[in-house]
Amino acid sequence: MDTSRSPLEPSSFSRKLAATIIIVYMVVTLIPISWIVATSFKSVDSAISYPPEVFFEPSLEGYVNLFTNRSRQPQEYLDSLPPPENWYQELVRSREMVITGPSKFVGRYSNSLIIGFGATFLSVFLGALAAYAFSRFKVPLKDDLMFFILSTRMFPPIAVAVPIFIMYRKLGLGDTHLGMIILYTVVNLSLAVWLLKGFMDEIPKEYEEAAMIDGYSRLQAFFKVVLPQAMTGIAATAIFCMIFSWNEYAFAVLLTQFNAQTAPPFIPTIIGEGGLDWPAIGAGTTLFLIPVMIFTVVLRKHLLRGITFGAVRK
Amino acid sequence: MKSAVKKFKGLSDKAIAWIFITPTLILLLAINIYPLVYAIRMSFTNFYANKIGREPKFVGLKNYKKILGKEEIWEKMQITAHFVCWTLVLQALIGLGLALLLNKKFKGNELLTTLIVLPMMLSPAVVGVFWTYLYNPQVGLFNYVVNFFYDFGVFDMLGSSTLAPWSIVIVDTWMWTPFTMLICLAGLRSIPNYMYEAAEVDRASKWQQFIHITLPSVLPFLLLALLFRGIENFKMFDLVVELTSGGPGSATELASINLKREAFEKWKTGYSSAFAVILFVTIFGFGNVYVKVMNKIKDR
Repeated sequence: MDTSRSPLEPSSFSRKLAATIIIVYMVVTLIPISWIVATSFKSVDSAISYPPEVFFEPSLEGYVNLFTNRSRQPQEYLDSLPPPENWYQELVRSREMVITGPSKFVGRYSNSLIIGFGATFLSVFLGALAAYAFSRFKVPLKDDLMFFILSTRMFPPIAVAVPIFIMYRKLGLGDTHLGMIILYTVVNLSLAVWLLKGFMDEIPKEYEEAAMIDGYSRLQAFFKVVLPQAMTGIAATAIFCMIFSWNEYAFAVLLTQFNAQTAPPFIPTIIGEGGLDWPAIGAGTTLFLIPVMIFTVVLRKHLLRGITFGAVRK
Repeated sequence: MKSAVKKFKGLSDKAIAWIFITPTLILLLAINIYPLVYAIRMSFTNFYANKIGREPKFVGLKNYKKILGKEEIWEKMQITAHFVCWTLVLQALIGLGLALLLNKKFKGNELLTTLIVLPMMLSPAVVGVFWTYLYNPQVGLFNYVVNFFYDFGVFDMLGSSTLAPWSIVIVDTWMWTPFTMLICLAGLRSIPNYMYEAAEVDRASKWQQFIHITLPSVLPFLLLALLFRGIENFKMFDLVVELTSGGPGSATELASINLKREAFEKWKTGYSSAFAVILFVTIFGFGNVYVKVMNKIKDR
């Protein structure tokens, strides 16, 4: 027993109790996520069996269904076909179906990537410029402008969706990648400016002043001294912008249909025979979650600042 | 002043400031403010966005009068209020509780925090659809687990109009409690140790320390978290639309979902713009009052 502990330190009993409760909560809260990942490795039959199967024979049916379109065929027709060329054709064949082509998932996923990365790059770049100006220069009405930038997040997306819909239709931006990139950039800008201003305020002015005395112009000093110094902040901001654009649903479902639709509106619509195809939805969800999970782990030190617009620092 | 600027080569600071800020402002004005002004203007007309040729007619405050006089709208507001209040209460209690426990600094603390935070990083729409699977009355895990502890028989969380409002509260609480937890944790970590040392010298009990030191210090943080969550949940759309799409009937038709129906299914642009303005003013009004109260508590 440690007898020298200060009265401030929690006792080892209360510490163990706290750890136990937290672990129980963690397990319970992760069950839904683990369940969906597990479902992605079930066969369609096993996914809709009762009681729910915790132990099951793993199957890649969900992933095959996610990436392909299939049609059911009579046994005589299947018998007349040449033998399946690979494992996934065989799997589909064993369900008395044939693959008719690739599904839209790859397209939707790459739309998510294009729009996500495009919007992230633009919002971080523009946000860094504006943040630097707000951080270093005397800008008239600075506080008002900063508040204005923040308040643009307050109105419901649906409220501005109709005007944007009409505007985009006129400009030819409806259902295009560029249109969605611009839209997500704008939604992200408020967060980017607020966060990056906080990070830039922490970089001592003396750094760039020294560079400027050495003959750099203000612009050179910004790109060669300030930006590299702000790299952690930029990375954290970028990941938050990415998570938003990656997960966004309301604008995507209202403003895109065929060409620029991202994965979130697509995944809930994956239909099999007789209803939603749960293993395929599970597979789509799992593939869609992986980047975000990686981000969360990378991000954990900046989490707080990002989700509160820089209002809370650790 | 001028010589100080001239000392360095290149563009003047003032020019750079404006070059740096202008693109952001232009984008915000074009994609955020213009649509808002447009929506406000449309709210005074009988515009239908799907009837392109027809000129919208100015109808004054008719849309507003219609909305505020409609019983149905007050029902939506009540449903929204039920959702916002219960999610805030639950997330405040559970979030603060978890933060207090995590603050005991046991081993593996950081890893556990990261894992607990995961639900809130997911896409709300995707979360919504996979919870419909968990809630499925025949094959859902949620129903199975509940029946495992107490045998309710077959029940349908999303299909019953008494249970559905609670099913959305449960999912939102599951997803967003980590948010309150994180912010409370930041608050707890900001309390300097000497305050407890002084209390210890004064022989204050643990309970007294909690009431007089911990709670007042963490309260501003908790209130901030609730402000963010309140605003988000008042305009909640994606999660609930995938989970229940407002149903059964209109038992979970939150204000935003009703707004989407009016705007994008019935195409009543004028009417729905007026509703959007009312929602915006409500959020803004509540938000302002709340911030004033919050600042008062902070100053105390």
